[in-house]
Amino acid sequence: MNKNNPTIFLGLVAITGMLLTGCSTGPGSSAASVGTPVAGGDLKIARSSDAISMDSTSASFENYSIEVYQNIGESLFTVTDDGKSVKPWLASGYTESSDHLTYTIPLRKGVKFSNGQLVTAKDVKFSIDQDTKTADTGWGFINAAIDKVTVVDDATVAVSLKYPWAPILADLSLFSNAIIPDNYGGKTPAQFFDAPVGTGPFIWGEWKKGQYLKLVKNPDYWQKGKPLLNSVTYTVVPDSNTRKLQLQGGQTDIDNTPDWASFASLKSSPGVKVFAFPSTQIDYVAINQHRAPFSDIHIRRAIAYAIDRKALVKAVLFGNGSPANSLIPPGTPFYDKNAPGPTYDVAKAKAELAMSSRPNGFSTSILIRAGDANQGSVAQIMQAELKAIGITMEIKQLDPTAAKKASLTSEFDMNLSAWTMDIPDPDEWTTFATDPTSGNNSAFTFYNNPAVNALNKKAQQETDPAKREVIYKELQKTTGDDAFFTYLYYSPYAFATSDKVGGYHVSPLLTFHLENVYKTK
Amino acid sequence: MLHRLSFIPGRLLRAVPVVLGVTIVVFLMVHLLPGDPAVAILGDKGTPQRIAALREQLGLNQPLWLQYFSFLGRLLHGDLGNSLVNQRPVSEVLFQAMPVTLALLLFALVMAMLISIPLAGIAATRPNGARDLGVRIFTLLGQGMPQFWVGIMLILLVSVNLRLFPVGGYGLADSDHLYYLFLPALTLAISMSPTIIRSLRASTIASLGSDYVATARSKGSGGSGLFIHHVLRNAAIPTISVIGVNLGYLVGGSIVIERVFAIPGLGSLMLTAIFARDFTTIQSVALFIALFVIVVGILTDVIYTLLDPRVNFSSKERA
Repeated sequence: MNKNNPTIFLGLVAITGMLLTGCSTGPGSSAASVGTPVAGGDLKIARSSDAISMDSTSASFENYSIEVYQNIGESLFTVTDDGKSVKPWLASGYTESSDHLTYTIPLRKGVKFSNGQLVTAKDVKFSIDQDTKTADTGWGFINAAIDKVTVVDDATVAVSLKYPWAPILADLSLFSNAIIPDNYGGKTPAQFFDAPVGTGPFIWGEWKKGQYLKLVKNPDYWQKGKPLLNSVTYTVVPDSNTRKLQLQGGQTDIDNTPDWASFASLKSSPGVKVFAFPSTQIDYVAINQHRAPFSDIHIRRAIAYAIDRKALVKAVLFGNGSPANSLIPPGTPFYDKNAPGPTYDVAKAKAELAMSSRPNGFSTSILIRAGDANQGSVAQIMQAELKAIGITMEIKQLDPTAAKKASLTSEFDMNLSAWTMDIPDPDEWTTFATDPTSGNNSAFTFYNNPAVNALNKKAQQETDPAKREVIYKELQKTTGDDAFFTYLYYSPYAFATSDKVGGYHVSPLLTFHLENVYKTK
Repeated sequence: MLHRLSFIPGRLLRAVPVVLGVTIVVFLMVHLLPGDPAVAILGDKGTPQRIAALREQLGLNQPLWLQYFSFLGRLLHGDLGNSLVNQRPVSEVLFQAMPVTLALLLFALVMAMLISIPLAGIAATRPNGARDLGVRIFTLLGQGMPQFWVGIMLILLVSVNLRLFPVGGYGLADSDHLYYLFLPALTLAISMSPTIIRSLRASTIASLGSDYVATARSKGSGGSGLFIHHVLRNAAIPTISVIGVNLGYLVGGSIVIERVFAIPGLGSLMLTAIFARDFTTIQSVALFIALFVIVVGILTDVIYTLLDPRVNFSSKERA
């Protein structure tokens, strides 16, 4: 089966659902264009935290580091702008064997690393193998289905799988599978990641930890005429008010995490544009089924029916988002916008509670992160809503790291949580959330529905997108009925930029493609 | 003169157990907090298996006392260890953040003096007069306004509206730093000066009423000469200790200010390290702050000794 298309659609799901999320806010969710692209300039991006490490094989390779690294290192495939599929990037296409176990991937011709070396199959094999080795401590778990990578010739690799695995191209698009020179270009890993080399539009500049990180233009980038900017400087501005003021004062070009409370005022600020890009974020309440009385499905449903999600969107996101109806977030392939997840209905909530093992109500608690204003608001609203049906909920605040620990060890009754996707395939999340054997007891809830497990396994091995859609539709319905999570809302990604910035777009998987961004005078 | 400063070596020696105590307390406190770097690093996508593997890799499975002694052992060799989060030497980030905070504190101190000395002088010359009342209102306001609020207001007024100073940051070039530090230093100075003004005002009033000032006046002294050489020099002595104590507090206050103004100093470093449970970095920053407070204490006594010939810590220590 030859699929040498420029764009590989992993799903046939309509994107309407995704567009519902967030597009209504902000002037646009597509790439912002301002006048004519102008070459040159330094793009200043104010972020709340600094990067930790550029070592793509380490556990410290987290969001702030990844955001920087993706401008330096590129993978064989990349996520499309809508986040629903992948397209060849350093690959020029791919061929899938009839048993779905081998993917032969020719490389794009003439692509060079920023050190001048030509990208070869040996580099690709080395890069993916290095990532796979870090299954326990890095991102290598994403390559679990890969048996081996073989060099076919200088410009072709073959990726063999242990079993048919539909998300493989999505996995290969992950940042940790970015292509780097074979054997780290003769350097030690530590030396290499101090100033990483890749094929991306920008090359490593300078890093003053805690202050700024600068990338400079790769003059030999394989996309001719790009990047347009001379450099990108990431600065660390922890306080959201200060970031906002820096943007308003013209000291920075992009505030990459404005809070929702100031989103509206930024929108009306002269010289500032705000964006609510569709995301893959779902906010939900994880319910620990090893704690009484949550193994009772009626109790879980009662909670799910008692929550007014529209009120949460209004109070917490200031209207910038949508109520959640499914486990799979809208920016992800196979999201079913008609999934019948529980909606706000106090009568139904009371009826479910009456059918449960605790018809007269009970006391429980919810774990939230101290200092997180959004979580505080959600918990308070939930507290009042659950009180109305006879459930007394105590709010337990822990500092973020302590809360993570409590979450990872399932030391909670209910836990206010959120998830965002890393690859354009629902499997990463459905496996994490529902598979009790994936190492985290179904997102620490001990949820175990054999029917859902079977559906999830089937979807992993089914390579026909149309059939996968049917399977995932069924999975979304069953998990909604089980109310193992209380889905709350889908929130878009908030960004604010100066109106002199053009071409800025963020995909639902937080890919940036800064090679397309430009500044005007 | 020098013999009066001979208390310094003894003071430094006595600082050793204090510093050791600080390392033990900080070490135990950070380990008492739930969560560790492995949890903080892997976040919500961690699994118990991945966390266990990372803990092993970071050496967090060793007994606590062993971790402490290996920290102490390295410290004696001048090695602060590697950050648990990014595996880079802690000294690298510490020595990068340290001058930033020191510059901020020094700048704030100079500004606080520039604000306090004239205001205290104005207030003390006519106690309970209109000018004194004005100064007292300023001190009340200065003490009552929270630092972060003052900071945000200054940013709004001076940076966003008037565009005179940058909205936070430290500047990319070396020549920019003083310009970037002006507003944060002013914020710290505004919160620090009321205490200095009050102390200086009270001691100036006492000094103005003293016999030696009357004598100086009778000998024809007056104006700024009298104020600087006779009044201020004597009035400053109690204020020096007030400043010394306040500088210690100011290090704590700088955590808030560094956050509001996005300054990459020790406060920001400490805060980031605490959230990431980066034990080695937390310990090193705490150790440095403890050393700083001790050194400021000694410096206060040195200045005290130099200003007032009657003070002799050396003889007191020998007694």
